[in-house]
Amino acid sequence: MSTEKLKILVLDDEPIVCKRLQPALEKLGFEVDTFTQSLEALHQIQETNYDIIITDLKMKGVDGMRFLQEAKSKNPATEVIVITGFATLETAKESFQKGVFDFIAKPFKLSEIQEVVTKVAAKIRGAKV
Amino acid sequence: MANWLKPFKKIWESAKGQRTETTPFPEIFEQFQTLLQDHQRVMELIADLGEKSGGEYIFDRKYLVDITSDMHSLLLHLVNSLNLIAGKRYLDLYGTLDRVFLPLEAELRGRLSLSEEMPVAVPLSALPLDHPELTGGKANALGRIIQSLKLPVPPGFVITTRANRRFLETNHLEERIHAWLESWAAGEQDEEQTARQIQYSILAGLVPREVLSEIRQRAAQEGVSWAVRSSAYGEDGELTFAGLHETKLNVPPQKVPSAYKEVLASLYSPGALSYRKKMGLVGEEAAMAVLCQKTIDSRAAGVIHTLDLNDPGANTLVIYASLGWGRTVVGGEAADRYVVEKDPPHRVKSIVVTTKEKMVRPKAGGGEEEARVPPELRKQPTLELEAVDTLVKWALSLERYFKRPQEIEWAQAQDGSLWLLQSRFMNIPRIELPREQDIYEVTSRYPVLIQDRGTVAHAGVGAGPVYQVYSDASLNRFPEGGVLVIRYTAPWLTPIVPQAAAIVAERGSAAGHLATIAREFRVPTLVGVEGACDLLKDGTVVTVDTKQRLIYEGRVKELLHYELVQAPAFEEAPEFRQLRRVLKRIAPLNLIDPQAPEFTPQGCQSVHDIIRFIHEKAVEELMDLPRFMKRFKGIKVWSLTSDIPIGLKILDLGGGIDVGAQGTKVLPEQVTSLPLKALWGGVAAPGVWSTEPVAVDFKGMMSSLTKTWTETPGSTAYAGFNLAVISDIYMNLHLRLGYHLNLIDARMHPEAQHNHIYFRFVGGVTDMTRRSRRAHLLAQILSKYQFKVDVKGDLVVARVLHLPPEEMAERLEVLGELIGFTRQLDIQLKTDEDIPQFLDSFFQQHSPADKSPSL
Repeated sequence: MSTEKLKILVLDDEPIVCKRLQPALEKLGFEVDTFTQSLEALHQIQETNYDIIITDLKMKGVDGMRFLQEAKSKNPATEVIVITGFATLETAKESFQKGVFDFIAKPFKLSEIQEVVTKVAAKIRGAKV
Repeated sequence: MANWLKPFKKIWESAKGQRTETTPFPEIFEQFQTLLQDHQRVMELIADLGEKSGGEYIFDRKYLVDITSDMHSLLLHLVNSLNLIAGKRYLDLYGTLDRVFLPLEAELRGRLSLSEEMPVAVPLSALPLDHPELTGGKANALGRIIQSLKLPVPPGFVITTRANRRFLETNHLEERIHAWLESWAAGEQDEEQTARQIQYSILAGLVPREVLSEIRQRAAQEGVSWAVRSSAYGEDGELTFAGLHETKLNVPPQKVPSAYKEVLASLYSPGALSYRKKMGLVGEEAAMAVLCQKTIDSRAAGVIHTLDLNDPGANTLVIYASLGWGRTVVGGEAADRYVVEKDPPHRVKSIVVTTKEKMVRPKAGGGEEEARVPPELRKQPTLELEAVDTLVKWALSLERYFKRPQEIEWAQAQDGSLWLLQSRFMNIPRIELPREQDIYEVTSRYPVLIQDRGTVAHAGVGAGPVYQVYSDASLNRFPEGGVLVIRYTAPWLTPIVPQAAAIVAERGSAAGHLATIAREFRVPTLVGVEGACDLLKDGTVVTVDTKQRLIYEGRVKELLHYELVQAPAFEEAPEFRQLRRVLKRIAPLNLIDPQAPEFTPQGCQSVHDIIRFIHEKAVEELMDLPRFMKRFKGIKVWSLTSDIPIGLKILDLGGGIDVGAQGTKVLPEQVTSLPLKALWGGVAAPGVWSTEPVAVDFKGMMSSLTKTWTETPGSTAYAGFNLAVISDIYMNLHLRLGYHLNLIDARMHPEAQHNHIYFRFVGGVTDMTRRSRRAHLLAQILSKYQFKVDVKGDLVVARVLHLPPEEMAERLEVLGELIGFTRQLDIQLKTDEDIPQFLDSFFQQHSPADKSPSL
């Protein structure tokens, strides 16, 4: 495994999601920043390049779809994982069209998201080599 | 009834009005199948909710709202189906649905807390644990210690935040206090002045009549004096108001109401006000619950820190102890200091005994006084090592449960008994912690024993020596803080769950009974871990991280530390509290005995009760076969032809009987229903039926089999026939043998999570003592096969959930054998001493060793 840590940004307006994901991903060897306000996250991606972004879709203010669009245009190499409690075929389709790596419906297991993140990390590392 | 449901009810009533008894059989039949499916679906939703409370899932409020509304529609469906089958005899159930679902839905909208229906005072032993906003943080923690950890806490009661609200309303104080606080926040008044005004107005206020009478009634106990302390909401949680609020000790009963006011007023002391300002809480509503506990006249008292602030990296805890009331310890004065290793066997690393000159003790007539320590005691250690040992075990179980380093107050009474006075999160200055390490780096240095196996029943991290348990005999030897490793999650393991640092099981379900208990005690638990018993050897120290589904060899102390000092445990998150409150209205099963007087629509208290009632009644309708056949001429009922003299009738819902079967008679080998096949395998096993210990003559026995039992006292409505309602994977069997009624409801789906066996056994010819003796024998046998068993008099109810089909089959076979075995057992069981002998003989005769891994 490469020695440099991959950076993950988690954005979800439910604090519990951030609180639970942070340690679960840190233990897998990632550097994790979490946000409950999409505006703050939007500022953050201007300053830092994240390898992986995990975002909710339905949020107050800037919604997840717009956020992930911004993130992708800022850094096309960023991989995005969408988590949402309002999973419909439409939103799933739209997210994939926007280049989302995977789409996870809430409620989900910690192990599920850990698996997806591990998969996307392998992809990123493969691309970097 | 919720408004949106009303149109459905109308449609239903008008549609059903025209055809009651004339509903054609195929429709009834279809309804029955739908009912079974809906029932199964609700059971699965309940299991699903239970699993979510284990911390493995990330969910939000929307999930709770959705699942509750799904459940509501399914239940409405079920009630409709039952009324169709039973000719509208259960219309009362619509009212029951309202009674259970309206508060549930209000709970989800957050409308219940602090509403009018909340009590103004509650005993500590019956505190509603998922309502900390009602009783405050300190009392909530004590309630958990009493109810979940079962550790000794001085008894008492809590005057709730609801009473505080009533106090403010009665004295018209709310707005005035608000105004004073505002002018202080605006800098128009200083702290001292503001505090004085508010406190004076509270002390001058009247305690509302209903609150006063509650306090007087609960406090009026002969010879008791009370400790009256604050339990503010938020206190002892993430915020610590330690020492800022008032505590009154040794208060005689008649002075409790005035002490109550003093504690309320302390919410607005200058110190508390400035703390509030510092924490940005001025605008927040302050709510104070007040805790009243019996005073312990202590010979010694003190504090435990489960993390040694002098040496945070060491894996030790510290006990401070001094004579008398221990005020000197809290006050930071001289106390003995015991440093003890947190790993078993909990070696005492050092004892520092100080010279104790003074102590605080109760003053006659109330309050406290300072006294000189008798010279001969001044240089003596305060605690015996035995007491140290007990305190260490308590402290560790408190830390395991609350998942953060704890500051614990304890006391030792004059008679030597030990008591816990309170436990709260330790306030650890950041600087004291070792530099934050890269958790991934550190943990990856430890050898991994098991990875990515099993299902999480409760999320968390625990470490300790492996201890495998196979029988109740080894239960007593289970070490405090051990890692419990088992093949099956059987309910008889329940007593040791609170002692376990973690649980790993090869089989079992996250929705099963043991998983529920593990969640109650917050013990990290993994089930379905293939090969655990071989890989985790007895005595090996392991660290179980169920959040990552990883088991390390050794004690990964950096990981344990990381977990302890991280953000608060997920169990305390509002979403989880709400889930638990919702679960309380859904999951408990109170209606066990269908013969009990409360087995009615009015007796249903939870969603589980309602579906249990509906299922029972629907089956009862079908079981009333004579009436049924009269109602529906021409329905096909099979008769089972076999050497075993059970006149069994079979109603096939589909796929239960070989398609080649002709006429009305069917042979055992033509039964294709998996559960009935398995059961029959047991009934027909060699030796089961021929061991004839029966004192009743054969003719009588035979007649008893075919007799109509309606004249027998206590018999149920569905008497008359032995009937099985089956499908390819389902069986509901009523069997009346001799004087016993057996009921088995079972499902054997290829996927384990859809499976269950429900077994009920009741009746007999002998006196109640013998019958209940037999019930206990059955309970013992069944619990060896991981059934959860309830016994009430001579009624035995046993359930097992979510095992793969082949293991369900084994258990059905055992039930078949048991049915044969117990036919006349109560006649033979003459004394309690006969029970072990019968147990042995059952296991010897009827059960190969490989079937009973937990023996």
